[in-house]
Amino acid sequence: MSDIKSKLEQISPVKWRIPKSFRKGMRVDTIVYGNKFIIDSVEPDALMQLTNVAMLPGVIEPVIGAPDIHFGYGLPMGAVGAFDAEEGIISSGCTGFDINCGIRMIKTNLDRKDVEGKIKTLIDTLFKNVPCGVGAKGKLRLNYDQLDEVLKLGAKWALENGYATKEDLERMEENGHMEGADPSKVSDLAKKRGLPQLGTLGAGNHFLEVQAVDKIYDEKTAKAFGIDRPGQVIVMLHCGSRGFGHQVASDYLKIHEQAVKKYGIKIPDNQLVCAPANSKEGQDYFKAMQAAVNYAFTNRTVMTKWIRDSFEQVFKRDWEDMDMKLIYDICHNIAKLEEHEVNGEKRKLYVHRKGATRALPPGHPLVPKVYKNVGQPILIAGSMGTASYILVGTDKSKESFYSTCHGAGRVMSRHKAIREFKGEEIKKSLMKTKKIYVRATHGRVIAEEAPQAYKDVDQVIESVHEAGISKKVARVIPLGVAKG
Amino acid sequence: MYKFVDDLTSDVMFVAEGKNLAELLEQASMALFEVVCQRDKVEPKEFIEIKVEADSPRELVHEWLSKLLTESDINEMFFSKFDVEVEKKDGKLIARGKAWGEPYSPEKGETVVKGVTYYNFSVEKTKDGWRAKVVCDI
Repeated sequence: MSDIKSKLEQISPVKWRIPKSFRKGMRVDTIVYGNKFIIDSVEPDALMQLTNVAMLPGVIEPVIGAPDIHFGYGLPMGAVGAFDAEEGIISSGCTGFDINCGIRMIKTNLDRKDVEGKIKTLIDTLFKNVPCGVGAKGKLRLNYDQLDEVLKLGAKWALENGYATKEDLERMEENGHMEGADPSKVSDLAKKRGLPQLGTLGAGNHFLEVQAVDKIYDEKTAKAFGIDRPGQVIVMLHCGSRGFGHQVASDYLKIHEQAVKKYGIKIPDNQLVCAPANSKEGQDYFKAMQAAVNYAFTNRTVMTKWIRDSFEQVFKRDWEDMDMKLIYDICHNIAKLEEHEVNGEKRKLYVHRKGATRALPPGHPLVPKVYKNVGQPILIAGSMGTASYILVGTDKSKESFYSTCHGAGRVMSRHKAIREFKGEEIKKSLMKTKKIYVRATHGRVIAEEAPQAYKDVDQVIESVHEAGISKKVARVIPLGVAKG
Repeated sequence: MYKFVDDLTSDVMFVAEGKNLAELLEQASMALFEVVCQRDKVEPKEFIEIKVEADSPRELVHEWLSKLLTESDINEMFFSKFDVEVEKKDGKLIARGKAWGEPYSPEKGETVVKGVTYYNFSVEKTKDGWRAKVVCDI
């Protein structure tokens, strides 16, 4: 396994191939994006996971590894696997546990200097108003009927219940609502887990960050996204479908484990359990997964209301007056039925993005009207204390199934990070050296997410920018972070 | 007995051992909740009852740990102590037990375990009893 990196064929300074001849059973090539810095640090196991996916039935060339690739469950994080909608598979293993873990960004018309003196108050208010951490109780207590509405309607439920605006929904992937969601395909256990957790951030790498624009690379596109100057304050929210999505994934991993046996599907790794795309087990999962996607959309939307409330409390102005419009909301872990050109022919594919972001070019019919002329915003989170980025989709991302990276990608285990770093020291150092205020439930949460535990996000972004599968629009830096 | 193995970039791996399957489940449960919460600070004030059935020791450990994660969320409780019994009936392994703990409080939380994975998952008989290797997706 260790020699897989030596078998990488360099196509360009930022594009590499693992040919299907590398391993018996591979049906297609895999392509990995990354400059030399990224490739030197990539785990051989993560590359091997890409080759596993290249063995699945109906897989479409190529299986993609983005520069933030790291070892994950079945399909690595930072990866894309596409499968023919007739002859291919749908895989709960490829989508993973945190269905529609995603990111949204909210702009403001505030300036860095308006916020810096109040950053502690602002982050503390956000931390109080948005339930953060394992064990933080949700403020919403839904009944089963209401939950089913959330699962069917997604962010439309939030709109109908006063948590969002019509304009918010226009600026979300899928408009915050996947049509095929079917709550009857979701277990009672998943619903029980979902009931108390709607409107909660969770923990781990999920966070809420107040940021300032640091650099603008593409003024025209930035302006279209509502970003008009360095120093402009932005809010970033990263979270997913919580225990609801984890339970949907766990339930269907078991069902797909049986489906693999029933349909005689050969899988090189037990984590890649799946079902034929058009089988009952495949379609049931797709419907349940879409319900989890809708749950996550609603989760982020509900919390946005509390973020706006928090800004109103601290700055004593209406959120509309602070122009706190949504820039965009994107999904990381998801399977979608999409049309792509394969060998010159339009085909329907089930595209599985795991720790990867959809990246649509200008003019694509699924780009929101407001961004039609510039392309879809792509929101990339850096690690705590480092920069994040706004990118835009390009025509060239057609070669990666209109997909790009999602974040920095870990290089150090959480346990090692906890051993090596002390949360309180990191917190003090971020304040002293970068004036970043961090509020977390306790120090270990900060230690496990230490900036040193992640790849250099700048290298990840330079790689996708140079490869042309998305382009830099703006760089933002953190002013304050609330973490679970 | 359980210990954590620092072998994965993004997830958490532990090895648990017990002289029988019941003790193995208790030890693995304690390891799991050391990831989820500050287990040493969680008092065994109240309990919930848990039962799972499986065809094999491997499936039993996976089902038991997955069930604990589910019940923790549903009951909004951190668990710190586990009493488990395992019996074999009609070819099935049945684990019954109590998970003791206290209601959720963020200051005692650690991290979200999204699921118990099958990556390098193993349950094996040893000369001293049973050993399980478990990777949690976090």
